[in-house]
Amino acid sequence: MHKKTLGDWTFDIGIYLVLLLCGLATLLPLANILSKAISEESAVISGKVGIFPVGFQLDTMKYVVSSNQFLHSIGISLLITVVGTLLAILLTAISAYPLSKRHLPGISIIMVMFIFTMMFNGGIIPNYLLMKKLHLINNLWSLMLPALISVFNMLVIKSYYESLPEALEESAKMDGARNFTILFRIILPLSVPVIATIALFYAVYFWNDYFHPMLYINDAGLKPLQLYLRDIVMDADSSSAVNKSADDLMNVSAEGIRAATVIASIIPMLLVYPYLQKHFVKGVLIGSVKG
Amino acid sequence: MLKNKKFMLVAVAASLSFTSLVACSSKTNTGSSTTTPASKAAATAAATAAGPKPELKSLQIWQKDDYNTYPVAKYLEQATGYKVQYDMLPQDKPQDKLNILIASGEPYDAITTAGSTDFKALYADYAKKGALTDLGPLIDKYGPNIKAAIAPSALEAAKIEGKLYAIPTTSLSFAGESLYIRQDWLDKVGMKAPTTLDELTAVLKAFKEKDPGGNGDKNIPLTVKGDAPIIPNIAGAFGLANFWNDVNGKLTPRVLDPAYKDYVTYVSDLFKQGLLDKEFAANKDATAKEKFSSGKAGMIMIHWADVPTINDALIKNIPTAKATYIPTLKGKDGKIGLSATQGFDRITYIPKASKHPEDAIKWMNAKLEKDTFRTMAIGEENKHYTLKDGAYTPILPIFTDERNQANNFLMGTDDKIYPTYWQARVRKDMRLFDAWNFMNTLQPANTKIPDPLGYAPYLTEFSKNFQPLNTMVNDFTTKLIFGAEPMTGIEAFQAKFKSSGGDASYKEVNDWYATAKK
Repeated sequence: MHKKTLGDWTFDIGIYLVLLLCGLATLLPLANILSKAISEESAVISGKVGIFPVGFQLDTMKYVVSSNQFLHSIGISLLITVVGTLLAILLTAISAYPLSKRHLPGISIIMVMFIFTMMFNGGIIPNYLLMKKLHLINNLWSLMLPALISVFNMLVIKSYYESLPEALEESAKMDGARNFTILFRIILPLSVPVIATIALFYAVYFWNDYFHPMLYINDAGLKPLQLYLRDIVMDADSSSAVNKSADDLMNVSAEGIRAATVIASIIPMLLVYPYLQKHFVKGVLIGSVKG
Repeated sequence: MLKNKKFMLVAVAASLSFTSLVACSSKTNTGSSTTTPASKAAATAAATAAGPKPELKSLQIWQKDDYNTYPVAKYLEQATGYKVQYDMLPQDKPQDKLNILIASGEPYDAITTAGSTDFKALYADYAKKGALTDLGPLIDKYGPNIKAAIAPSALEAAKIEGKLYAIPTTSLSFAGESLYIRQDWLDKVGMKAPTTLDELTAVLKAFKEKDPGGNGDKNIPLTVKGDAPIIPNIAGAFGLANFWNDVNGKLTPRVLDPAYKDYVTYVSDLFKQGLLDKEFAANKDATAKEKFSSGKAGMIMIHWADVPTINDALIKNIPTAKATYIPTLKGKDGKIGLSATQGFDRITYIPKASKHPEDAIKWMNAKLEKDTFRTMAIGEENKHYTLKDGAYTPILPIFTDERNQANNFLMGTDDKIYPTYWQARVRKDMRLFDAWNFMNTLQPANTKIPDPLGYAPYLTEFSKNFQPLNTMVNDFTTKLIFGAEPMTGIEAFQAKFKSSGGDASYKEVNDWYATAKK
């Protein structure tokens, strides 16, 4: 190991600085929103709240967390995320399995059909009309069904399957296992890292999806959290204030309440993330060498 | 963001092609499904309320709480006998969503949108393409209350090509924004609230020189937000209260008004002397409010709806602070005025895709029944409000909880009585009431200048050009005030304004104005 030269030092320091700046760039806005959520309204309005709260209070948070509409939205979001992710993982994992067996007849044609949907799709209006014909407007399935198989995610899982040694399956077959047993008892347990990663991808997708609910959901009782958030945050946007009558202006929610809503909405993801993060890092590597 | 752009394009495409879609959209029931817990509850509720009256579907403007669980909805169901499923448009780009819903023929029985220029344009567009139900015959048959309650002038203004397709909810005509001043600063410098432009300059000078707030070099005599370089109240003193003003019998946009130059000269002079916030162009609404409520600024331009919040914050920061609105300022030749809203707050229409247009009209008619209307708007006497000497005062907090968002349930108002009921809404907070009252009843009546274009029918060129031209004028005015453009550049800009649609708008607006004045 050679001694660090001046050049090495400056390089290292430079890297640390850049990383520090990136870190701060994401952390500071979050700290700002958090402080606004737990500061006095008057301090928020007069712009005194920076990264530290001024006049600490938790009433705003309590108000937001106990509001019916918020709890309802978070419930809807959780439902979509849990059910959607479970189904999506199941379907993606089992459709990737046969596709990883290149010796099967016709498998490449089926593969092309999958890839085709990745490149071309109907677009928004046809999708909307499809949902309407399926009677799924104002129905939570409209948010889950179309996203159950993401071809990209399926390819990641497929390439992981392909990297598993063939001998495992052969020995299982010798012991009399059928295809389903092999998949569920041998392959899937070995694929936990990739499954966890993809599950996280799906979960983040379902949790963050704002666009589809905006299209398909009109009933306020079925709005997921992101849509609720968007509406609340937009409420005080001055560009939307142009269309507001005096009555609406009197009803605009306070800045502190909006900040508290944002904070409250990230809590569930914050709770899940640390447990999945280690898989996430591994999984990203796996994706990168899939070649 | 990319997706959003795509979405807008598609929405435009949708609106172009929707006539054909409306025609071929199926009439099958797409009502709420029963696979989810929430709609299951709704379905059972509907089953118990089964009667001869069908369940109606109404699309509403966004509000914070779910319409379906809001107390007003329950009251209306019981009072009108109609069970209604309320959906709402999103807060973000509601126009796009509305286009999709209309294009795909969602069977709404009533659609209520804002009554602003852009939504009026959509309404006219739908009506012309045949997507809306002609309400005239229905109202004749089932809508006696509608006819009695809504001002004929409003109904006339809502017509498209001679036919009525929408029920207008008229805006109450109020002045909203004016200049709010630190009374304690005034007392300290020993002056009275300004009533003319010269007095305003003098007061601002005193604020700057004597620094009554003790802010040193952070002292700001007057702050405004960046998108308001044409400052209400000051602009009124030059006869520029509204976007378009009557100049010798012709409606003229501000920038073509001969007084525009005088206005800019006055304000840029304030700026040069350091009396107007140096950073005003970069101020967001919240930044300006921060400066005022933290005690750095002596004056601010705000809406009376903001007064309680701003005041609370200000007094928290500076316990001795006192603030109030200044009177409406008088200009050199006696010009004076605050812009007052006029026109439609909301419009409600029935799309052709509706399955129960007759019931929808009966429902709206029932909502305008005198007692029902009052209870919908402000609640029950001695429960939600008290009535004394003709003034309605709300009982808190139940009024806030159960009637704060009642305005979103209105579909047409009883135009003679509603302004009186409405006052209950500002009496929620005496500071709110005082601010509103000062501007709207204590000031002489001639200081409120209603927007002359409020009752204009849908004007194609005007609607198309309104926003872009407005942005152009705001940018240019800001540059003039900053001195980044010379005053001699005004004529060149006026030429640019005219060629960018200003001329077309001018002709269209004045063609209408000539007929309206008769």
